Amino acid sequence: MIKSIMLKEWLKLKWFLYGCLLLNIGVCFKILLDIRQRLHAEHAEMVWYQAIHLHSVLYQDIRFVILATSLVLAAAQFVPEMLGRRMRIALHLPIGRNRLVTWSMLSGLLFFSFVTLADWLFVFSTIRFYFPEEVAAVVLPTMLPWYLAGVVGYCATTCILLETTRSRRVFLSIVFTIVVSIFFSGHGYSWLVPALPLLIVCIPLSLLSVYESARRFQQRGA
Amino acid sequence: MERNTQEKNAIEVNHLCHSYNGRMIYEDLNFSVPQGSICGLLGKNGQGKTTLVNILMGFLKPISGTCLVLGEESHALSPRTRNRVGLLHEGHLAYEFMTIAETEQFFRGCYPDWNPDLFYNLVDRMKLPHNHKVGDMSCGQRSQVVLGVIMAQDPDLLILDDYSMGLDAGYRRLFLDVLHDFNSMGKKTIFVTSHIVQDLELLVDTMIFINQGEIMQTGLKDFMRDFKKYSFITDESSSILEDDFITGVERRGDTVTIYSFHDLREVKGHLEDIGCNGSDLKRESMSLEDGFIGLMGKY
Repeated sequence: MIKSIMLKEWLKLKWFLYGCLLLNIGVCFKILLDIRQRLHAEHAEMVWYQAIHLHSVLYQDIRFVILATSLVLAAAQFVPEMLGRRMRIALHLPIGRNRLVTWSMLSGLLFFSFVTLADWLFVFSTIRFYFPEEVAAVVLPTMLPWYLAGVVGYCATTCILLETTRSRRVFLSIVFTIVVSIFFSGHGYSWLVPALPLLIVCIPLSLLSVYESARRFQQRGA
Repeated sequence: MERNTQEKNAIEVNHLCHSYNGRMIYEDLNFSVPQGSICGLLGKNGQGKTTLVNILMGFLKPISGTCLVLGEESHALSPRTRNRVGLLHEGHLAYEFMTIAETEQFFRGCYPDWNPDLFYNLVDRMKLPHNHKVGDMSCGQRSQVVLGVIMAQDPDLLILDDYSMGLDAGYRRLFLDVLHDFNSMGKKTIFVTSHIVQDLELLVDTMIFINQGEIMQTGLKDFMRDFKKYSFITDESSSILEDDFITGVERRGDTVTIYSFHDLREVKGHLEDIGCNGSDLKRESMSLEDGFIGLMGKY
């Protein structure tokens, strides 16, 4: 059953995954070219001053691309299910609703994580190439909140698509926009690391809200 | 005793109550569908047919009352019971992004009793390659894939929501043939709705008429025997109204057609009582569609 669910999600997502991967790698490549260009155009000391002393994150262009990737993947997964109320087919499969939702989301989040991992590897390699190891080491804690924002954005898109009433959609849009914006607040390297234990709580809460939306979707006419 | 009844009935609806947007649709709906029967749900548009099918399919939780499908609440079916229920959704819902082979592969992994031969036996009649996308199929072709899917599951109960929608006569007949074969395998129950009433005449053994939240459940043979269609010629301009005696009236030119559960002599007498000359009243042959119109009206 789980293999079948993964197969279905793969069939829906594969072209979107390729597209998102291409876009993300493209933006990472642009970051590499920008850093290279700056080091050629300005004194290395100036770039160092901006990057280290002023905390100007040289790879911050990727953060909204990561969020957009999660929104696209969630939409690619659940819009076809909503069209013509096709989700009914999956909801009648001999598997519990929560398990079905869990495996569907895990598939989407797995693909999203794969793209984000590729981003991190590319950015990490770029920074490691031009800067000392200590600067490369903070790429992960700096990018982690952006990844988490993507996970919340993924759950938000799923919830909003599953909801049956406009008022709930609007309400959830507002709540999730506020939550996602927290992950993008602040400036500089590892800015949100001290708050991460609190922010991580948003992830299970976001996932739980999808189960509730799925329950309402099924019991209110699907 | 109650458990025994539940086992005998594939579907059991007790005191079902449901409203939609503040409008009460059913207040106290009661009926049951015995195992092994083929039951057709008939009703005009807007009478709550779709709502009832949605409740039976588990996509709507009723306000009160119970709706048991194979002994379990329809909105909370266990995966084990869902495995025994095949659903055909209105519009022949299928995964349009899948090919025929991917559809088979997907559902094979979901149903333990999946029979790939049954699936391909139905689907291969279309002579399409297995890498053909479901989304590129005609409505009729897609219906074959959906039929293949629900047959290969080997369910004990089929719930078909307007299976004939968008199908030509050939595909509709094919559906009827397959459903007949399915039912003849023993203890297989079918609950079906269709807008093509004449097709149901070839399929069902029991019918449920739904009208303004009330239902009438009857055997097809009993209904076709007891409900009668009469006609007579009149030049009178006054119209005959429906009453307890006359269930339905149609007038086309000077020919009046009336429907009633009463026999010819009684209807004649009634026409005289209401001052209508029905001396040439005669019984006509009646199709299920005629009976449906006679009982439910045209609008």
